[in-house]
Amino acid sequence: MIPFPSFCWSYESTITMDEIDKKILNVLQKEFPLTAQPFLIVSEKCGISEEEALHRIQKMKDEGIIRRIGAVFDGNKLGRVSTLCAARVPEVKLENFVKAVNANPGVTHNYLRNNEYNVWFTLVSENEQGIDSFLAELKAETGVSDILDMRAVRTFKINATFEV
Amino acid sequence: MQKLTVLEQKIARHIQSDIPLVSRPFRNIADDCTLTEDEVLKITKKLLHNGAIRKFTAILQHQKAGYNKNALVVWSVPPEQIVGAGEKMAAYKFISHCYERNPAFQGKYNLFTMLHAQEENISTIVSKITLSLGITDYLILESIQEYKKTSPEYFT
Repeated sequence: MIPFPSFCWSYESTITMDEIDKKILNVLQKEFPLTAQPFLIVSEKCGISEEEALHRIQKMKDEGIIRRIGAVFDGNKLGRVSTLCAARVPEVKLENFVKAVNANPGVTHNYLRNNEYNVWFTLVSENEQGIDSFLAELKAETGVSDILDMRAVRTFKINATFEV
Repeated sequence: MQKLTVLEQKIARHIQSDIPLVSRPFRNIADDCTLTEDEVLKITKKLLHNGAIRKFTAILQHQKAGYNKNALVVWSVPPEQIVGAGEKMAAYKFISHCYERNPAFQGKYNLFTMLHAQEENISTIVSKITLSLGITDYLILESIQEYKKTSPEYFT
């Protein structure tokens, strides 16, 4: 697990990408070729050499445009339980609360939002009990008692593909 | 629920994060697992086919890819209309995630959507949805700060 600073802020302005970079991103997001030389296939689709494709992808990783290339596993299929939590956290308790939330490796998203319920995070756990016990500990540890636990009962869409 | 074999888990550990950016990434993974490149590819494809892997792609940091405007928008939808509304929401390109959640937020916001935009304002998009679906009670929860964004690690 890569350590994340507790207060990381990364909404920088858009980095300039040329048309080839954009094409690469769209190809990589559509379907990564599961073949021995996947980047060769990607490069051919973009009309460049494999070497150039690797170089451009490395650059976009360095700039943080590409977070990673890999598999997205289906947590539900693997029997994991997930939830979206919203907490009402007073300003003075905020830093401590965020630290405690982020320390859980099952927390994959955590945002400050413009609502009286100001901290919103997603939590994945091995089972129901994992979620219940984490939230109980979190409340005890931080003194924040108002935490909502909103389970997805129907999934209509999960598709974070960003055409560029 | 799907239980992965020991061999599948071994590979899953490598492909759940970032594969090596080299000409033959699956050979590198195979070397680490003392398997062949073919075996790694075969098992990865199998996991994709049977749905354990939802997709195998590049994951972007969408803000840096030009999607600067992002918001969680929650909608109050009568229970008998939720399936129709959810399906219509799902059809929008600018919506990446759409769920019905229980309990509803503030006792009524039961349909949750993540909206992303490059140029258009979130409020403009929300107005369009309102017009088209007739759902008028909603909350736009903009992110003021990102504290954490990562991919889950299911295999350790």
